[in-house]
Amino acid sequence: MNNSEPKIVAFCCNWCSYAGADLAGTSRMQYPSNLRIIRVMCSGRVNPVFVLKALRVGADGVLVLGCHPGDCHYLTGNYHTRRRLSITMKFMEYMGIEPERIQVSWCSASEGSRFAEVVTEVTADLKRISPNRLFND
Amino acid sequence: MTREIEKKLRDTVRELLEKETIDRIVGYEAGSLKFSTTPLITSNKADVDRLVINPFTHSNLSVFLRDLCGKVGIVAKGCDARSTISLIQDRQIARKDVFIIGAPCDGVIDLAKVEKLIGLDRDEIDDIVWQGEKAAITFAGSTQKFSAKEVLADSCLGCDPSDFKECDMLIGEIEPIVGGKELGQDRIREMEAMAPAQRWEFWKKEFSRCIRCYGCRQVCPACFCDRCFVEETEPRWISPLPKWQDNLIFQVVRMMHVAGRCTNCGECERICPANIPLGSLTKKMEEIVDELFQYRAGTDKDAPPLMAAYQPDELEDLMR
Amino acid sequence: MLEKWQKEFAVFVPSKASGVSQMEVWDGQDTAFLDRNRNTAVPPKAKFLPGMEKMFGFRKEEGSYVVEPTDGEPPKQLLFGIHPCDARAIGIIDMVFKDAYDDKYYLSRRENTVLVGMACTSPYDSCFCTSLGFGPADATDVDIMLIDIGDALLIEEVTEKGRGILAGAKGVIEATEKDEKEAAAARESANAKVSRKIDTAEISRRLPLVFNDREFWEEVSAKCVSCGICTFLCPTCYCFDINDEMLQDGSGARYRNWDCCSFAIYTRMPAENPREEKWRRVRQKVYHKYLFYPELFNVIACTGCGRCIRQCPVNWDITQTLSKLPAGSPGKAEEKQKAS
Repeated sequence: MNNSEPKIVAFCCNWCSYAGADLAGTSRMQYPSNLRIIRVMCSGRVNPVFVLKALRVGADGVLVLGCHPGDCHYLTGNYHTRRRLSITMKFMEYMGIEPERIQVSWCSASEGSRFAEVVTEVTADLKRISPNRLFND
Repeated sequence: MTREIEKKLRDTVRELLEKETIDRIVGYEAGSLKFSTTPLITSNKADVDRLVINPFTHSNLSVFLRDLCGKVGIVAKGCDARSTISLIQDRQIARKDVFIIGAPCDGVIDLAKVEKLIGLDRDEIDDIVWQGEKAAITFAGSTQKFSAKEVLADSCLGCDPSDFKECDMLIGEIEPIVGGKELGQDRIREMEAMAPAQRWEFWKKEFSRCIRCYGCRQVCPACFCDRCFVEETEPRWISPLPKWQDNLIFQVVRMMHVAGRCTNCGECERICPANIPLGSLTKKMEEIVDELFQYRAGTDKDAPPLMAAYQPDELEDLMR
Repeated sequence: MLEKWQKEFAVFVPSKASGVSQMEVWDGQDTAFLDRNRNTAVPPKAKFLPGMEKMFGFRKEEGSYVVEPTDGEPPKQLLFGIHPCDARAIGIIDMVFKDAYDDKYYLSRRENTVLVGMACTSPYDSCFCTSLGFGPADATDVDIMLIDIGDALLIEEVTEKGRGILAGAKGVIEATEKDEKEAAAARESANAKVSRKIDTAEISRRLPLVFNDREFWEEVSAKCVSCGICTFLCPTCYCFDINDEMLQDGSGARYRNWDCCSFAIYTRMPAENPREEKWRRVRQKVYHKYLFYPELFNVIACTGCGRCIRQCPVNWDITQTLSKLPAGSPGKAEEKQKAS
């Protein structure tokens, strides 16, 4: 059990998921405050090295949020995210990292409540597993 | 048998150079150590007689293609031919600038395996002869036979030669590698039988030995970035210091960057001076790519690179 | 004897326990290295010039930085089973660390180390030490040298330090004339086994003449892949990079780590990279070891250990390159002199 609060780094795309996060905020929705959001223009910007770096510097989990497939502001960016992050998730699970630590989800600008829901679920997932000590000596 | 193929190769290459079908050839010649070969890169017809084909042609010669000008002939094993096609898919070389000479390969002999098996170093072994299904190894006055699984490189076990789809010329017949696909997967299954925490501890220990020589990256034809992510300083993704954490991240991210372009040629593992079992990573990535996309690197020169392509509906079961 | 030494020193022996052949702390049990004494993959230079070394820490205090030196003396260590090629290599790079100033990181480890040499009885086919002015049983640059004479090890005392560690050692007796004869025979037999040879006189004559032979250097460098394997495993290579690791609060530490002149970015600077092309880097490697270092320190910076040949991914062989040096012409020598 993770007794301390998990630290989650979330890469949110500017056009959909970041706006969705804003909406959750302006609508005063309650959701766990464990996220540290890094805004990127498109979820397709996320290189696997970003995910590993976040875990290296102590994040308990990494969440990549983008537009729904078909709705990407840049048309195809999130398709690349999906392929790239799928192999990242599968490969890191093979290496021995808990699958809860790297997750990808889609959230549009109007889905404030969905954003809050995803964050709540991911936070709960990470609370169930121990804090990230993967890169400790 | 090999002498005939070598003669055929040499005659072919000589003719290609004479007719100016190619400007230069990249092939293998005898190395300066026992049971070794070394790349031969030449435009000189007189050098052609040095070309060899044997079970010690380890190097993936496609790594040199980007730096050579003119039309280049390459003596390519199956995996190397696929690496060449993969480079064409990535627009790193043009199809018209390369002449692929398919060299049928029974698999390369893994000298580290042989040394461990026999308990002697390579220079103490008298002879290693591949006889089609077994290797006859002569040492300490006698000759013993060993199976393919015992002596061939793991990356060769389970090689499917029907991948050999695109070459300009084939020297000899293609035979399937002895043994089935499952043979090359032992290590992956063993790894997956370990609990996740155990696996992480395993890799932590292995990467503690990494000295960051970048040999793995430099011999890999898929690693052709002018500026590798490890050299980035703003921001600095990983430390240049050989700490296990950064060593591990380097290799893992490298695996992900080459996904869909790695042909599992086995070079990265063979040359690692710290004996890190990189084949357990490359093979798994190859499996993941096959499982998720039914894709095999370098089998279709007209296909878009794996990570540049997409299907509108796929992989949604992996998304939250 | 090892047990006695363990009380005073951290004793390192050649071992494959970690997964790669290198000097490891003696576990108190293993004696395999006494029977099969071929060279380790990672050279002992790692014990004086580690792959990663903290130089000092620092922290921010009232707007400026306070340096925190690394504490104390490095621990006393005894390296057992050093081959003459590696010992001689240590002597060669000592010179660089005492040249313009005393490199205290390297030298303090050096001073706190005892080198117990072990003569080579089965050189590799890649060894070529005998061409470089010494042999596989040479006793320079160690504190004591051990030679296997079958039923015993002959000990040659070389330095005061060496004599010191033998004092009070059990089972050490005065060698007989027969023992000395057996040792001499062992030395000769080891020398004879080194089959690879280079002609250093001819190499020294030709190198100044072929510096500008771009065609030759492009040809011999074509198969190099510019990795760091030869450099990192070479006992006479010593280049290092310096990097700071910072924490959020402004504190951090300065480290040095191994660097390699074969890397494409080794000489990269904001304005230019004088060794952008691979042939220049390969040429540099050869010249540094066989001409420039001798010009500065009167010794070839290579001890013929052969690791570079054995471990190179493409079997690039410095002995082959050196034996293929063109005869050159006097005109070219002038060009180099004008350029320098």
